[in-house]
Amino acid sequence: MVRIGTVAYLATHPTQLRSIIQWKVWHTPVHERDESKECESLKRCFHFLQETSRSFAAVILELHPELLVPVTLFYVILRGLDTIEDDMTIPLEKKEPLLRNFDQILDQDGWTFTENGPNEKDRQLLVEFNVVIEEFKKLKPAYQTIIKDITKRMGNGMADYCSNAEHNEVGVNTIKDYELYCHHVAGIVGEGCTQLFVEGGLANPALLRRPELHESMGQLLQQVNIIRDVREDLDDKRRFYPREIWSKHVDTFEDLFKPENKEKALAVNSEMILNALQRADDCLYYLAGLKEQSVFNFCAIPQSMALATLELCFQNYDVYLKNVKITKGDACQLMTESTQNLQLVCEVFKRYTRKIHKRNNPNDPNFLKISIACGKIEQFVETIFPSQKAPIDAKKNPASAEEAERSRKEAEETKWDNIYMVIAVVLTISIITGLMLIAAWLAGARFDIAIHQFKEQLGNFLGSGGELRNATSTVAATPSSPGHSEL
Amino acid sequence: MAPIKVLVTGGTGFVGTAIIKAFLSLPNPSQYAITALDINPPSPGTQSFSQVRYVRGNVLQREDLKKVFEEARPHVVVHTVGVYHTGPERYSLKGKGWETVFEVNVEGTRNVVDMSKEAGVRALVYTSSVTVLLDELDEDFRNADETWPTGRATTSYGRSKAIAEDLVLAANKPDFATCSLRPCVIFGPNDPATIPIIHGCIIKGETPFILGDNNNLQDYVYVGNVADAHVLAVRNLLNSCTAAGEAFFITNGEPVSARDICISIWKEFDHVPPFQITIPSGLAWWMGLGSEWWSWVSGTQGTFSRGVILDATKDRYVSISKAKRVLGYVPRVSLPDAFRISCQYFKQKFKDQERK
Repeated sequence: MVRIGTVAYLATHPTQLRSIIQWKVWHTPVHERDESKECESLKRCFHFLQETSRSFAAVILELHPELLVPVTLFYVILRGLDTIEDDMTIPLEKKEPLLRNFDQILDQDGWTFTENGPNEKDRQLLVEFNVVIEEFKKLKPAYQTIIKDITKRMGNGMADYCSNAEHNEVGVNTIKDYELYCHHVAGIVGEGCTQLFVEGGLANPALLRRPELHESMGQLLQQVNIIRDVREDLDDKRRFYPREIWSKHVDTFEDLFKPENKEKALAVNSEMILNALQRADDCLYYLAGLKEQSVFNFCAIPQSMALATLELCFQNYDVYLKNVKITKGDACQLMTESTQNLQLVCEVFKRYTRKIHKRNNPNDPNFLKISIACGKIEQFVETIFPSQKAPIDAKKNPASAEEAERSRKEAEETKWDNIYMVIAVVLTISIITGLMLIAAWLAGARFDIAIHQFKEQLGNFLGSGGELRNATSTVAATPSSPGHSEL
Repeated sequence: MAPIKVLVTGGTGFVGTAIIKAFLSLPNPSQYAITALDINPPSPGTQSFSQVRYVRGNVLQREDLKKVFEEARPHVVVHTVGVYHTGPERYSLKGKGWETVFEVNVEGTRNVVDMSKEAGVRALVYTSSVTVLLDELDEDFRNADETWPTGRATTSYGRSKAIAEDLVLAANKPDFATCSLRPCVIFGPNDPATIPIIHGCIIKGETPFILGDNNNLQDYVYVGNVADAHVLAVRNLLNSCTAAGEAFFITNGEPVSARDICISIWKEFDHVPPFQITIPSGLAWWMGLGSEWWSWVSGTQGTFSRGVILDATKDRYVSISKAKRVLGYVPRVSLPDAFRISCQYFKQKFKDQERK
């Protein structure tokens, strides 16, 4: 159901509408799942994927067939874990062992969990978790090992936070703690995905030797979520902004939301964004290691969205008042641009980086650091896609100078080839036309009449044109045309 | 082990002083015995070091040099002497200034290289400049590296430095290793140009004007990092020698827009532009031309010229991957810290001047 507000918005923002239409019309999935071959339990897993994730379902469902099921199950399993962690109605003594042993649950046929509170939105997933386990058992053992390992580490990480009284009372303390938290909920997922891609032969194995790259992929996504959801989290009594950052400006976290502290709140906002922005070049580097289009899309779309969200939140006080979101049109444009190639994604990063740079506030304590972070992204893009080429130095490198001379000559030759081609085409057409005219003449065509009529019509046309232009002197216009009197 | 004898030309200058300080701050400073050669003795207010022997001499006087080399018998020479112009003279292609620049930068370097060879010096590190490439003012340079050919610069400084650098690198031989470091705009405490010039805009009321779209990136480097690079280069030439015959860009590896640098420096002096006006780079170029004409007609010197505009509105940044890879160079002091340290120094200095 399309709301009237949306219609009005799109009617007044044609570029947004264009982006949406472009995406809907032109985007064809790289791979599509084949529902006819799926059994009931797998169908149910896909159903849960679509139920529990708004943003990820679309990209997961287009994944390469090799990875479609493993990644889907990976996602719903972690979602199940998350549903237990989030639920405040489960007492800690029950919750902690569940989280810590969740990897073992994957071995228990028919395991389900019905003790989630009635308001937990994804509770149905755990009620029917047996279907997930059933499908999990059918995966290749290598994939099972990877998923289990990540589940175990993530569950332990979550349990640590749940049982940590300080974390629950005051939130995150230092920037290091904050990054560690993001590591447990997102960085590890980046690691798991990378292992799955490499195992499936769809990414460069070198990615596993550069763990900081997939760490940054997860960190950027998670940090952007935390920055954007600060209001929602406050309302739910959660705080992820590290004290180390906000305590420079206000005494309590709640003070950030007071209207009189607007300036200070924005200073906190920009430091949080700076922290996330410094991960952007790693993410581009990571994307360069992906071999397969659907995997690239899967990774690139969320990153582009994250950078656009970062730009939207930057120096935007609305973040503290309500939920901000990038527009549907922008999202569609980003998806179109993120499903082609790395160069286009680099352009997206550059575009949003420049927007951030433009809004950088000279009075902000991190003004220069933000400027440097922006410059670093541009320089990085320049290292993978240089926009300039070193000119050839004839003095120092005669070999390449010769080569340049040769390529110049080649270019010259191609130019003349093109000219000859055009001349040949024009000649052929003229000869054929001439032959046809001669044939027509031989057959008795009266060209003189045709020309007369043509002239007459042309004269009429020009005459009437003159009339229109000079309506007051229509009489004068007619004799001024010599063609008429001669007729 | 006998200490390695190092001769630093321009040893009381801005960069020379920093290089000596970097040598003396090594974990084992007695490993090096340093002689500082300069046309000026250490001036009051600049740092001088008791462990260093200061010698007065002019690189243009071969006799002077000969004596110094015979006395010091250096194993290593670090040649930092060079002159440059700021303001409109930087872009002028004739006149006395142009000749002095060539004399000191080219002939001075030739003399030092010749003397070093005669005296059996093992290694020479030359302080070149990023301008050997970047002073082709009409061009943008985005992440250029050392494979780019030099010799196209249009300023006296860039051209003279390129010629001198070629001299130095051509002299490289197995028993006389040379390399060339090309720092970008250097700043630091007591820096004679960068910070004073940018600070000067506050008094002249020039801070509200933004030239160009502010998207063009430029490189800066802290003097301490430049000094580190010199020490690394000396050690490389004495050990693995992988840097011999090579040139290296030395920057902070943090390209930023010139406007943002200015704002950060003004902020350190508690100045925030009261308002901002953007002058598009196309318009600015014509204003520069107009200003040059006006200077010519009126016979006065304006601060504005096409060169200044091009310097401010073009992309001018390079890659330091080679220095990182070969020399192990890491910019230890980041730009924000470096600006804070430097401006703190100048604030104190201005305060002291007021008191006098």
